[in-house]
Amino acid sequence: MRPKRALAAALAGCCTVAVLAACGSSASSSAGSGSSTGTGSGSASAGTPVKGGNLVFANPQDAESLDESTIFDNNSIWIIEQMTQPLFTVTSNGKSVMPLLATGYTVSKNQLTYTISLRKGVKFSNGTPMTSKDVQFSLEQTMAASQGWGYIDSAIKSVGAPSADTVVVNLKYKWAPILADLALFANGVVPDNYGGKTAAAFYNAPIGTGPFKFDYWHKGSALKLVANTDYWQPGKPYLNSVTWTDVPDDNTRQLQVTSGQAQIDQFPAWSTVSSLKSNPSVALSLFPSTETNYLAFNEHVKPFQDVNVRRAISYAINREALVKAVLFGNGTAANSLFPPQVPYYDANSGGLQYNLADAKAAMAKSSVPKGFTTTLLVPSGNSDYATIATIVQSELKPLGITVNIQTLDPNTTNENFQSGKYDMAFSLWTMDIPDPDELATFGLDPTSGSKSFFTFYDNPTVVKAVHAAEVTTDTAARQADYNTAQTVAASDAFMAFLYYSPYAYVEGSNVHGFDVTPLGNYHMEDVWLSSGSS
Amino acid sequence: MGRMSFVLRRLALLVPTAVGVTIITFFMVHLIPGNPAVTILGQHATPSTVAALDKQLGLNQPLIDQYWLFIDRLFHGNLGQSLYYGVSVSSLITSHLPPTLWLLCYAAVIAVVISVPLATLAASRKDGVRDHVVRIVPLLGLGMPAFWFGLILQTWLGTKLRLFPVTGYGSGFSGHLQSMFLPALTVAVALCPVLIRSLRASMLGVLGAEFVTTARAKGVPAPRLLVRHVLRNAVIPAVTVLGINIGYLIGGTLIVEQVFAIPGLGSLMINAIFERDFTVIQSVALIYGVLVVLVNLLTDVAYVALDPRVRFDA
Repeated sequence: MRPKRALAAALAGCCTVAVLAACGSSASSSAGSGSSTGTGSGSASAGTPVKGGNLVFANPQDAESLDESTIFDNNSIWIIEQMTQPLFTVTSNGKSVMPLLATGYTVSKNQLTYTISLRKGVKFSNGTPMTSKDVQFSLEQTMAASQGWGYIDSAIKSVGAPSADTVVVNLKYKWAPILADLALFANGVVPDNYGGKTAAAFYNAPIGTGPFKFDYWHKGSALKLVANTDYWQPGKPYLNSVTWTDVPDDNTRQLQVTSGQAQIDQFPAWSTVSSLKSNPSVALSLFPSTETNYLAFNEHVKPFQDVNVRRAISYAINREALVKAVLFGNGTAANSLFPPQVPYYDANSGGLQYNLADAKAAMAKSSVPKGFTTTLLVPSGNSDYATIATIVQSELKPLGITVNIQTLDPNTTNENFQSGKYDMAFSLWTMDIPDPDELATFGLDPTSGSKSFFTFYDNPTVVKAVHAAEVTTDTAARQADYNTAQTVAASDAFMAFLYYSPYAYVEGSNVHGFDVTPLGNYHMEDVWLSSGSS
Repeated sequence: MGRMSFVLRRLALLVPTAVGVTIITFFMVHLIPGNPAVTILGQHATPSTVAALDKQLGLNQPLIDQYWLFIDRLFHGNLGQSLYYGVSVSSLITSHLPPTLWLLCYAAVIAVVISVPLATLAASRKDGVRDHVVRIVPLLGLGMPAFWFGLILQTWLGTKLRLFPVTGYGSGFSGHLQSMFLPALTVAVALCPVLIRSLRASMLGVLGAEFVTTARAKGVPAPRLLVRHVLRNAVIPAVTVLGINIGYLIGGTLIVEQVFAIPGLGSLMINAIFERDFTVIQSVALIYGVLVVLVNLLTDVAYVALDPRVRFDA
């Protein structure tokens, strides 16, 4: 998933296209900041749920598309998840899956065939019943999405529908993450053959089995879903409608929630959050997340191929200080490639922590004991990264490393990062599935399209462990493989693991039952508004 | 020259201006590094998926070919598809143009409503205390950045006093009137100082004219003299100033729309720039260009209507 960054807020004086694009903005923005030590939901579901009410989200950015098979953008994903549902879903601790449209499954002896029984009485929002044919069609459309999520289903050989409420998934090879993959929104169930429409027409107004159905999407301003009266969970959803509005300015979003125009601010800026404590009409909720922030080193650029240089920098960064300065204390120092909310996270993998003496020792052993000059790529318009960059710059000075901060607008930053045109850059990950496989492959395999998180890090021991963990379902064996991968990667310091941050949401005090999983998903069917709401 | 032929000639001149705007914006947005495919693919982008999406979006074609395609489509009344949303650009513009026009007109009206009485007040007592106050205080409006002043209005009039909605466009005429008041005021406040100064200066000029002395000698009461004789003649230069400043005003709406979460062209434009949605950027810049030219034309027409001595021969 791609956490969206809030766009420009203070664009003073930038009135031409060129100036706008070049200057970005100086606005504070901190989207998708989320943690391992979050305090959990602030919207305690006090009292009995009440039916009715219209809930409005203030979102820093508009959705992009409602096509579940190709969309990578979180804003879109979280909306899609209210309309279409997969067979399984992530548990609220984010570490495993539980049945949703399925009721159970059996696995063949050779572990290549999964037979899944479907929930009875489930209807699409247009009133037609859901059958195994719909599931088969849905999985096949995503398997075929080569520009989209097709890769997540690459272990699936075929899907069968032997009876109306049974689906058979045949695998090409043993594949441990299969249930986690099936729980991805991209494998959500849509009507067979799109109910006779073309894919493009269907995804303009998708139909699913979810608690809400499509109402309208005014692109660039608002997207509205209304309650699905045919929803299969009795009594739900409580809300009449949910609307996501597009409000790029951090301050404006906060004002909307405090004034009651919106009920939830998705991605408040950390800098604005502290001022909310005195306001009784709003609450800040922190949810444990899988969001992890890294500092990446480009091993195609000298001297970052030298492990001692990477270790020295990793040791020199005071992560507690970063958490304090950027998250105002609402996070923890990262000590592994994996965040604690991910299964097989190894707390003892030995991710390097702040120690100036060790940093200097590593530097002395390196190919550049006297130091060097390098560049840190930073996206503009993001006060969090600007702060981290300044801190890193000053922390590397005692090692003789001169850091030039290169600020480019977010799109260019991403492009340069992904094409290897950088020395050091910030990187961030949130999990899509409750299994480390996707992150491990993306982050540690130099032959994957992402070239080890675009660092070109290549350690055969790590790569072997990552792929061994994919093809065994034995939990102990997987843990051992992932421990190896995490420990070696940490020791190689291919990236400096910076911090884990929670997801922050600002909610009106009349919002109840809003809960976010560590993967970022939320279930709007459980949310209700107490009286006095819009 | 007759009025019709004047307007037609000016409208014909719109074509080269618009073409100029398209050339400049097209090549400028492509000079900036960045790629819409990177935005669309996000965290999962890899060089190979970006290249594949580039091809699908037609961005791997030579720039000059892409430009010709854009122009060719334009002359067939087609602005192309948004690279980000995958819908037609004209549908995006149709839904985002009304809030911006509302904001512009509303701001112009508020600016006039504020400026005319203040300028009259200042001119009626030249170099007096109220003249100085009127000349100096509105200058604050020029100095205050719109995003800051907007925020102040939102906090005080919106959140604390709850007189106006904090953000949004509202629905229905009265809804727009109420929701758009704070943003329109924000834009207007930056416009007022220039308007007040020019109006005051021209009123002072008219006050010194012989016909005013005559009217005064005839015993026309001061308020009537100011409104019927002085203001009417003094308003002509102010109209020009207002017209010229509409261009400035359009720039101002970009920021104000962001601050007040108004789904107008400015918001569309800024998002498109960040997403590198080239087709949308080009089209919105074109609309803005055309808008400025049309407003200038309207100003000239209004000028002639207000002052019969001026003739259409520009």
